[in-house]
Amino acid sequence: MAAREGLIGTLFIAPWLIGFLVFSLGPMLASLYLSFCKYDLHAMQWVGAENYRRLLTTDPLFWRALQNTIIYVAFSVPLGLAGSLAIAILLNQNVRGQRFFRTLFYLPSLVPAVASSLLWLWVLNSENGLLNHCLMVLGLSHRACPRWLEDPVWTLPAFVLMSLWGVGGARMIIFLAGLQGISESYYEAAYIDGASPWQKFCYITIPMLSPTIFFNLILGIIGSFQVFTSAYIMTSGGPGNASLFYVLYLFRNAFEYFKLGKASAMAWILFAILLGFTVVQFKHAKRWVHYEAAHD
Amino acid sequence: MRSDLKLVLKRRDFVLGGLAAASLVSGCAPRSGRAAELRYMAWGNPEQLGVEQQLVDEFNRQNPDVHVRLFRVPQSAYLNKAIIMLASRTAPDVIRIDHYSFPDLVRKEYFHDLTDLARNDPDFHETDFFPQALEEGKYNGRLFGLNVLLGGVMMYYNKTLMSSVGLDDPFDLWKQGRWTWRRLRESAIAMTRRASYGRPDRYGVQIQTFPHNASILWAYGGEILDRDFRRCLMDSPGCVQAYQFLADLRWNDHVAPAPSAGAISPFAFESGKLGMTFDWMGMAPRYRKSVRSFDWDICPVPFGPFGGASILKGNQLVMYRECEHPEEAWRFMQFMTGAKTEKWLYGDALRRGDPARKSVAVSPEFLNARHAPFNTPAYVSALENGRALPITPRWGEWVTALNAELDELWSGRDRSAAAVLSRAVRKVDVILASDEGF
Repeated sequence: MAAREGLIGTLFIAPWLIGFLVFSLGPMLASLYLSFCKYDLHAMQWVGAENYRRLLTTDPLFWRALQNTIIYVAFSVPLGLAGSLAIAILLNQNVRGQRFFRTLFYLPSLVPAVASSLLWLWVLNSENGLLNHCLMVLGLSHRACPRWLEDPVWTLPAFVLMSLWGVGGARMIIFLAGLQGISESYYEAAYIDGASPWQKFCYITIPMLSPTIFFNLILGIIGSFQVFTSAYIMTSGGPGNASLFYVLYLFRNAFEYFKLGKASAMAWILFAILLGFTVVQFKHAKRWVHYEAAHD
Repeated sequence: MRSDLKLVLKRRDFVLGGLAAASLVSGCAPRSGRAAELRYMAWGNPEQLGVEQQLVDEFNRQNPDVHVRLFRVPQSAYLNKAIIMLASRTAPDVIRIDHYSFPDLVRKEYFHDLTDLARNDPDFHETDFFPQALEEGKYNGRLFGLNVLLGGVMMYYNKTLMSSVGLDDPFDLWKQGRWTWRRLRESAIAMTRRASYGRPDRYGVQIQTFPHNASILWAYGGEILDRDFRRCLMDSPGCVQAYQFLADLRWNDHVAPAPSAGAISPFAFESGKLGMTFDWMGMAPRYRKSVRSFDWDICPVPFGPFGGASILKGNQLVMYRECEHPEEAWRFMQFMTGAKTEKWLYGDALRRGDPARKSVAVSPEFLNARHAPFNTPAYVSALENGRALPITPRWGEWVTALNAELDELWSGRDRSAAAVLSRAVRKVDVILASDEGF
């Protein structure tokens, strides 16, 4: 009976299992093999760890791309989390038009990445863009306005700024759900004890929301490391490789230069980096992530 | 009962199976007695693909023993699609390949050697072609591609604007040998206008990036790569002088829009706020449609101390190595590159490019123009005097590295062409010297 149930269960998940093996695990293993080869779709030659060695020791663009990506992640993730949390807190207030505001803040995240990239090209245009126009209205001269996507110094900040366009998206929804899961009794008790709103936020909201913050942090880092579309559409990695992100460089090696072995090696290095980040975060999570105990 | 049921099922199965087999066989049979099915792959916008379909239909009509089907691929995904199909041995029989990719693909033996087909064809004469057009399709002396959509980089100019500021027509000056880069600068200064708020609201000329601006390198005696394609030569005095001239147009004379200003429509050529721009001759159909408010025309690139050669580059019509009907495919390729097709594609009606055949280049169908551009001798000049770019199998890699460095010059962050080109050459040389595939 148990065996029969097991067989039926396996049959039910078989479509997913086959899909996973064929479209996920299989290609992953193939790319692992390719990362040890020189392969341009025409000829394949086993080269051992040569792709990895050259990437790590003789390819300056690899390190530039990694550096750009780490800087981008270091700023976009904390700012994105803070922004999403702030909007979620605001949208959790019981005010008139709450549903309207929730919809309004969520809408930008629905705009396709390509469309929003083209839109931001206009906003960030240093000659006639909306952003510099606003800065000039605030008193900045035309010369003093940043040249955004034309200036290597301002390109990464421009992309970080763009990343905040979607703070009202899925992350905010998850924070909102987390906020609504915090029992009112904690706030009532704090009110009785005379706690200020800031104290309530620091000692109730944040600790109770810590699992949600942790979840968004992990996904935010993983997602931000894979930034690609905006740089591909807007700058192609320029100016002067200032926006050459890791995945863009990987894409270029794979589909423009057809260095599929090198690109596969880059993919596995990225996997190792993200795995390392995630493991470290999980280890440190015990110090600041508090899971509510189950109540009988 | 069970055995009767078995018998019935068997009979029905037999009937159904027979019907299925019959339909399968009839589906595989050549339609209407045609012997060969061919697939032809080309890129283009919907209008351009419509033209390709017309040609395919006409060929099919003239050759009832062959049926060609146009295999459409979005332009943005074309190269990837073509390469993956070639590598997976599922490629169409006849493919148009951008010449930027041809050197890399031809050495991988993806294409059918056309030399013997051409030699055995009494209607194919090498002498009818411009030498460079034919040479582009050769590899190790053997013919692998027939040139299509050949073209040069031309100068497009706003005739109305030039006339309004009292400038001589640059094409007339070119015919007199007086259309030089210095003259271009003077014209650009005359056409640039500043608005009341101090910034230009009209520019004289657009600066293009490499390789579109390669003509000026040659005009000043510079070269791009050495003969063996092993070393970049763009730090030579001629190249430095040429690129410094262009950079000064933007950052000293302020007659060319900065990258951000040039990237948006207010200063596109069609807007009428740009006096001159350089682009491939294939832009003519687009300008015919989009330019409504002024007269425009074309002119060859200006002369420098070492002459005035345009870039000349085409695309290759190739046959897949494993094509099952090479004779029929060759016949189709001959049709697509024949004199009659060239006259239609490149003549006044469509102006898709330059003809590869000399006979077409001097024909009334090509030279006579009822619509802009009217200066059709400019096309012939590019064909006769044009130069090829040093397109190597690793063209994409080193040009990306080159442009990443040149961006410093065009954006004004480093206004010394000597310093920028010195750094660029070092980076390009590293790529040219490095092992392929890593």
